[in-house]
Amino acid sequence: MEIKEVFTTSFFLKSIFVAALFGLIFISGVTYKHTVDLEGSSNLVVRSYKVQIGLEQIISLLKDAEAGRRGFILTRDSSFLFPFFNAKEKIFASFSELKELTFENLKQQVYFDTLFNLVYARFTVMARSLEENNLYPLNASQFNNSMVLAQDEMTLIRWQIDRMIRLESSYLEEQQHRYEQELNFTPFINLLLLFFTLVVFIFSYYKINKDLENQKKVNEELIISNESIKHAEEIGDFSTWQWDLENSKFTFSENQYRLLGCELNAFEPTIENFLEFVHPNDRSYMINVGDQVIAKKKPSTIFFRVLLKENRLRYFKLIGKRLTDIQGKKIIIGITMDITEQKLSSSILEERNRQLELSNKELASFNHIASHDLQEPLRKIQTFISRITEKEMANMSPAGKEYFSKIQTSAKRMRVLIDDLLAFSRMNKIEKVFEDTDLNVLLDNARQELAQAIEEHKALISSDPLPVLSVIPFQIQQLFTNLISNSLKYSKPGVVPIIKIQCEKAAFNLNSNTHPDTHHRYYKISFIDNGLGFDQKYAENIFLLFYRLHQDSEYPGTGIGLSICKKIVENHYGFISASSKVNEGATFNILLPE
Amino acid sequence: MFIILADDDEDDRQFFKDAFNEIKIKTMVHVVNDGAALMNYLTKENSQLPHLLFLDLNMPLKNGMECLKEIKSIERLKDISIAIYSTSASEEDIEETFVKGANVYIKKPDDFITLKKILSKVISVNLQYHTSGLDRDNFLLSI
Repeated sequence: MEIKEVFTTSFFLKSIFVAALFGLIFISGVTYKHTVDLEGSSNLVVRSYKVQIGLEQIISLLKDAEAGRRGFILTRDSSFLFPFFNAKEKIFASFSELKELTFENLKQQVYFDTLFNLVYARFTVMARSLEENNLYPLNASQFNNSMVLAQDEMTLIRWQIDRMIRLESSYLEEQQHRYEQELNFTPFINLLLLFFTLVVFIFSYYKINKDLENQKKVNEELIISNESIKHAEEIGDFSTWQWDLENSKFTFSENQYRLLGCELNAFEPTIENFLEFVHPNDRSYMINVGDQVIAKKKPSTIFFRVLLKENRLRYFKLIGKRLTDIQGKKIIIGITMDITEQKLSSSILEERNRQLELSNKELASFNHIASHDLQEPLRKIQTFISRITEKEMANMSPAGKEYFSKIQTSAKRMRVLIDDLLAFSRMNKIEKVFEDTDLNVLLDNARQELAQAIEEHKALISSDPLPVLSVIPFQIQQLFTNLISNSLKYSKPGVVPIIKIQCEKAAFNLNSNTHPDTHHRYYKISFIDNGLGFDQKYAENIFLLFYRLHQDSEYPGTGIGLSICKKIVENHYGFISASSKVNEGATFNILLPE
Repeated sequence: MFIILADDDEDDRQFFKDAFNEIKIKTMVHVVNDGAALMNYLTKENSQLPHLLFLDLNMPLKNGMECLKEIKSIERLKDISIAIYSTSASEEDIEETFVKGANVYIKKPDDFITLKKILSKVISVNLQYHTSGLDRDNFLLSI
């Protein structure tokens, strides 16, 4: 936009100067013509007077000639013939001169011809009369006749000349009038043009001034923006560069030197010099990616190492993009960033992650192996117990039998604990494969699994239709099984257990410290029973591993079942909570993401 | 009927032999203490091959999984019926031994009566037939 403006301004200024130049040339032209006209006008006056005087001279010369002729006739003195011939000669000389002077005036030329004829005829007559009158004595009548004839012809000539003088005067007047008109008009045009040129100059001065001001402002802004880029580069540890592909010229910002640990302009900004800093193992890779950047238009990113003074290793990230600049040149522009700090902190993070993963793995495998390896001796204990029960019981004392039965009970309890622990650890270990599954089918499977217990308790279980969700099927089935068997186990003695399973689209009114992600949509599945319930203050603790609310003798259990439920729900990025009052049944709410 | 058991646990070997003594089926039980001993015996020329091989998974020197793989890769041995006999019944182990071609998977029971029942069941069914349809559901033997 600004660039375009500058372009228009320079075009505008050029036009103004061309116009002014033409204006000045025009004024000079007009002035020149004015001068020429003035000269023409005075020339015309001079010429015109010359013509008039010439004509008067012709008359007077004719009179001289006549006087000479008469004198000669009367006296026969040949000295009178001198003015006659002199006048004749002068008259014909002045004729050609005058005719030349009036070449512009066609009518006057015609008049001249007529005059010439008249004068010529007059001289012919006079010359003849001189010859006739050579005979002496003078013939009076003849002389008289010639006098009369001379008088007539002279009158005719005089009339002709008067006519010509009048014509010359009127011609002069006419021409003078024309010149006057032109000369009157010229100063006005000159003034107008001068004024126009002046306006043009004033306007250009204003425009140039304004442009200069704009340029100054733009320059200032440029300086500020350059400064702020410089600071930004220093703060952000990056530099910008340009690579002109046509002349292989490489330019980069000042901060590049700082990033490379050098003084400003410490080396010539060339690709070769830059590559000197790049870690030798990364050079060929860099050149390779560089070629790719040249080939395509998409920006490319390169991560590489540089070696600074004293072999300090830094990690750099470079992004380059090929483009065509305003002048149509192909260039690559880009930035180079020092990402050493990020690299180091991310590698620390990576290391921590790795350790965490390792310790998690160890924990899981410990969990698994511990429960697995514990099974082996326990199994043997139980097998020996069964062999003793089968064959050796009869030989034992009553006290021995009682102790033995306690051993048997403890072994069984240990078996349950180990099995549950194994199941819990398995929830972490097994590969989590999510499949779109109909939860109604999983609920049916759970009910079949518990068919015997349900039958024993004569429990009534009803359910809303459940959705199809992407879940780990066997885990959700385990979840349903655990929740139902939990309800059956803690049902009120002598009361038919009723378990209602409700399902609705998410409402986040779970009374727990978990915070469902409001960006996701959830299904809320509730298991509501009419059993013993529990004090609400235990609502969170019941999900803890090995946490139990009842004496073992009343309700045997391991305190792992609900922990498994929690684990499963968490594996599905969901939430579980419980609410209850003593003797008023319990509600378990599960939120599973849609 | 000739049966071999490969198990490193002395008690388990004893339970196994006692159980076969008590069930009234004529069997000859040979026991080896680990996977290496088993493979030594089987790969010996002219060794008598068992009708049924019980293979513990968790053994020193060479574990059951390796033995299974090796047996299935040897032409002379690959048709031996193999029953996996292990304390663990983890999904992974069951899956892996099934894929590797074992015929049946037995989880070592916790009482002797069940052990006798399960052993009499496993030798009374025709194992070649038992898994002919590669029936994954029947693979884990239960009473």
